[in-house]
Amino acid sequence: MDGSIGILPFPLAGEGTRARPRVDHKNSDEAALVRRVQARDEMAFREIVERYQSKVFSIIYGILRNRNDAEDIAQQVFAKVYFSLKNFDFRSSLLTWIYKITVNECYDYLRKKRVRKLVYESDFSQEDAQRMEASEPAIDGAVPADTRLAQRDLILKLLSKVSEEERTLILMKEVEGHSVEELAGMTGLNENTIKVKLFRTRQKLLKAAGRLTRIR
Amino acid sequence: MHREIRDHIENVLAGSEPEHLAGCEECCSEVQGMQEHTALLRELRAPESFVAEPRAGFYARVMERIESEGPISIWNLFIESAFGRRIAVASMALAILLGVYLVTSERSADDPMIAGQQAQQQPLVVVGEDGPARVIMQMDQSPAGQSSEDAVLADLVTYREQ
Repeated sequence: MDGSIGILPFPLAGEGTRARPRVDHKNSDEAALVRRVQARDEMAFREIVERYQSKVFSIIYGILRNRNDAEDIAQQVFAKVYFSLKNFDFRSSLLTWIYKITVNECYDYLRKKRVRKLVYESDFSQEDAQRMEASEPAIDGAVPADTRLAQRDLILKLLSKVSEEERTLILMKEVEGHSVEELAGMTGLNENTIKVKLFRTRQKLLKAAGRLTRIR
Repeated sequence: MHREIRDHIENVLAGSEPEHLAGCEECCSEVQGMQEHTALLRELRAPESFVAEPRAGFYARVMERIESEGPISIWNLFIESAFGRRIAVASMALAILLGVYLVTSERSADDPMIAGQQAQQQPLVVVGEDGPARVIMQMDQSPAGQSSEDAVLADLVTYREQ
């Protein structure tokens, strides 16, 4: 089932930015669904799982690149959603909230497996191993797979140095490709606040990278 | 980074090139670093070839997990988070230290051998108000203040006379 974000009522890019009314997350279809889950309607929870499972799955796979781990963590994400949904306060969209839980679960997983192990062969997925074998030497100017793995390792490490909120915002901006206006609608924050938060996050990433280079 | 760039950083990273950037080395270097990170972040996108569909029966497996896990308790905070675990370990270490201290201090108070040795090692010198100085060898001192039976009183004057 399609769990893409297209189903959410995002404001269209290109509209006036400052005067745009805030998205009312309390009175959307999504909110009605959440209220049904809060009233212990299991069918409503099933609808949430089916609506967002693809999205959650692809977020996890994007970060970890391992299908088996993605399935396991996706289960954990929805178990957390189930237990925490009673505390959902409708300040942001449900997708933003689930996105944050998903990224946190990925980081929990990485912490448990020690982030550095990502570049060890034992932690490679089959897809990674195949790509690595096929990548020597890089002929078409593309970055070799082992370099890309090291780069992914680096950016994941840098992202662990910023707060959960900052990490979620920058990933939604750069990985999911949402605009500042869309992020404002999804999070319930002002556009300028989003811009400031993104800028601070980028600066923190730069500083963390600088520290890492000095250590190395 | 200067305000000219900072205020429009999202546009700059999206490709616009303000004049300021050409003349400012500091801004140029920071923007370059941010562009590199942006490119790395985009590597975290799942590849287009990836079929983002879990195996059939995903919902059933989620429900199984929910049933096996039960609601999240306050103890999970201590077990699951690294900070929580550190607090738990530190508290246990403190409790063990406190326990060891209490046991050893009580034992030394109860043990007559240890108490006697302590008393022998520490004779009290009392300077009398209207007489010569006296040394009291205190062997044991009961809580009721019955020290007369156990204490040896030596009158220095008498001792000298002998």
